[in-house]
Amino acid sequence: MNYLDCSFKINGNLKKISIIEDKTLIHVIRDELGLTGTKLGCGLEQCGSCAILIDGEKKLSCNLLAKDYQNCEITTIEGLENKDGLNNVQEAFREFNAAQCGYCTSGIIISITALFDKNKKPSSQEIQNALNGHLCRCGSHSVVLKAIDSLIEN
Amino acid sequence: MNQFNSGPSINTYNKLSHWFDFSNPGILKVYSGKIDIGQHISSTLALIASKITEIKYDQIEIIKLSTDISPNEGITASSLSVANSGSAIKAASITLKINFINYALENLEIKNEDILFENGVIKDKNSNKTISYWDFAKTDDFRKIIIPENFDENSIKKINYENNQKIELKTINDIVTGKYKYVHDINFPKMLHARIVRPPSYHCKLIKINEDFKKRLVENDITLFVKGSFVAILSQDEFLVTKFLEIAKKNIFWEEKQQLSNENVFNSLEKHEKESLLVKSGGEAFYEEIPEKKSFDDPKIKSLSTIFKKSYLMHGPIGPSASCAIYKDNKFTIFSHSQSIFALKYSISKFFDIDPNLVSLKFMPGSGCYGHNGADDVAFEASVIAKEYPDRHILLKWTREDEHSWEPYGSASLNKVFGAINDYGEVIYWSNEAYSDTYLSRPSDLELTNFTSYKFLTNNFAKTKSKPKTSAHMGIHRNLDPIYNFKETRLVKNLVHDLPLRTSALRTLGAFANVTASESFLNDLASIKNIDPFDIRINHLDDERAIDVLNNLKEKMEIFKLKDDSFRGIAFSRYKNSAAYCAVGVELNVTDDLEINLNHAWITVDAGEIAYEDGIKAQVEGGFIQAASWALYEEVIFDSKEIISKDWDSYKIIGFDNIPVFTTSVIDHRGFPYLGVGEVVAGPTGAAISNALCNALGQRIKILPFTKDNITKELLN
Ligand code: FES
Ligand code: FES
Repeated sequence: MNYLDCSFKINGNLKKISIIEDKTLIHVIRDELGLTGTKLGCGLEQCGSCAILIDGEKKLSCNLLAKDYQNCEITTIEGLENKDGLNNVQEAFREFNAAQCGYCTSGIIISITALFDKNKKPSSQEIQNALNGHLCRCGSHSVVLKAIDSLIEN
Repeated sequence: MNQFNSGPSINTYNKLSHWFDFSNPGILKVYSGKIDIGQHISSTLALIASKITEIKYDQIEIIKLSTDISPNEGITASSLSVANSGSAIKAASITLKINFINYALENLEIKNEDILFENGVIKDKNSNKTISYWDFAKTDDFRKIIIPENFDENSIKKINYENNQKIELKTINDIVTGKYKYVHDINFPKMLHARIVRPPSYHCKLIKINEDFKKRLVENDITLFVKGSFVAILSQDEFLVTKFLEIAKKNIFWEEKQQLSNENVFNSLEKHEKESLLVKSGGEAFYEEIPEKKSFDDPKIKSLSTIFKKSYLMHGPIGPSASCAIYKDNKFTIFSHSQSIFALKYSISKFFDIDPNLVSLKFMPGSGCYGHNGADDVAFEASVIAKEYPDRHILLKWTREDEHSWEPYGSASLNKVFGAINDYGEVIYWSNEAYSDTYLSRPSDLELTNFTSYKFLTNNFAKTKSKPKTSAHMGIHRNLDPIYNFKETRLVKNLVHDLPLRTSALRTLGAFANVTASESFLNDLASIKNIDPFDIRINHLDDERAIDVLNNLKEKMEIFKLKDDSFRGIAFSRYKNSAAYCAVGVELNVTDDLEINLNHAWITVDAGEIAYEDGIKAQVEGGFIQAASWALYEEVIFDSKEIISKDWDSYKIIGFDNIPVFTTSVIDHRGFPYLGVGEVVAGPTGAAISNALCNALGQRIKILPFTKDNITKELLN
């Protein structure tokens, strides 16, 4: 097994670690760095629960080779809070109690954060595009959509 | 009727200390035998306790279920969490409050009008002396109190509380910040990550493992675990174990003892050996002779018959099942998200032939749970592995493919419905024959074979036959008995044997298929006589609460104008004919490409006294969305060799792009028993969609899911 010394910029911190060369990014995030808010749902880029931000863009982390993302700014759900506390998307989800089991929620919050970072008044089509690929089995959709709508009105 | 019953849990746990722990000043800890499986039961229970005791919601903690300390309230299922645990905690709270006030009055030597009651503390207005719940809990009086089984109207009246409080869910802050811990996130020093190497299908015996592969495992510090035909690999590095799982599949060989099946499952349901039971009014099933179906020659009586079909459905949690187990000092400690924590304790102790006290199960959250999924299997499997590696935590996770291919599905089913309506619009005859595999194969100490890995561990691949359950609304015949006062009914439950896929409890058991079929068929009978769908239902109901729910739905739907090119349908059900009432309306449109878009959904529910209104709304809207997904998209595909629906591409579920606008109403019946809402909406949702679709197409589609393929086939028929 080949190991590689890598450094990652995660949630504003620089982390130097030695990893198995072909380790996927989600396993670095969860297992090496202990940031378990990013969830593994399928490992097949089909469910959205592993979404993270790479240089501000939403990416699914379950099949990415970690070593390729060493020079990027990586943000996970744990890194969304700012100096005032929760970011506005987290705040809206908290306010609306927009989760059932919550397994899909961090991925959705990541995608919606990426969307609102670029566009404060997205159209419903743009919101749909951002949610495309996010599966929720509990049926939290209606409350999630209300939480997202509240962000536009504000 | 305003009498309140404490529910079944109080029969066994009738002391305040069974439910409350006041050992931390300012904090009330509450025990419950129910778990958070996505329905936020802990928040609802804390709210119930808070409303009555007047201790602030934020100061109430629900203790996570552990078999060492929690009351055994059975399975967290069947929409009974609020009905059982909620009623018990309400009863305990009322008992506590009444006794506490009496104690305080006596000890402070004051009168009722002289007290100030704030956040669990009673203060004498005049002397400023105080007594708190926490003081009271230290007394002998507290320890001796027995919670009554019933409360009369007067004692209930003494307890004032608001019903519609806004709360922040106990878990929400941790969920939105990524701090909420699931079993999947457990980490112990030196913990081993495990994955199971599965054969292609249920009945495969292990033949050979390549020697080269074994060497590679050793080189990479990966442990191979083999017991019978049960094979797992373990490593301290989780990535490594997932990587080698793919390699393992190519290096391990199996002998297929029995194939799945290529036969159309609906043919199998009709043809295979079955046990037929007569279901009587009240919903119980009996081993009695089934009467012949009647026929009607009178030209004034119109009759109709239809066969409804429903495919296999899966639970499909977004996070695959997981469990962590350790065997240390001859004892097991197992972290699990199973609904059946207590049953698991007994099953696992039975398997290892040890005292149940040597098995401790602790609840840790998993992904949402909608019935008997992989949670029990994975906990059992983790314990089997842990036994071989004492003193080390084993974290076993199922993969997406494991979850899709190995969970116990909701059975495929058939409903043969026949009915007759007279000139006055009265349904004078109603026959419904349900055909299905079992909905109840949860493992227990008596049925260890219900663990999917049991046959691999023992190399015993003999098929077991399930037995029909007979109690009211149990399994296949749940909601087969129509709630309407039809003149004569003939209800038959057929448990069909030797079907290809593993099945067990999926949310609502048989009720989804039965209600979808019945409520679709009732519309078809009504339309022969041009009777409005609301009228045909209300005309056959006596229960005022049922009628109120339907009238409320009608009112709510009339507020909104029907959109162009759209069509509506409604349906109604009372879950198990004894729990919550629910009426659903749907407005949808069908594209030229036969895609169904859900525009609007109306839900009216009566769940007795409202425990937590927003919680009820979230549950019924979530239930609607899941049932809409079943109705529109879902179908487990398989062939003779394996399950084909191994991932989310081959098993489509609803996405954010087909979520209707909701108008959800909850009718409050203050003082009435809590009725759970986790399942009530599914049946009426399937039927309301079916009825709207029938209006859109001018033809009944009788096979679920309503995919383009199925609709085309039906239209061509
Ligand atoms: S885990 Fe990455 S998309 Fe499902
Ligand atoms: S809230 Fe459970 S999967 Fe979305």
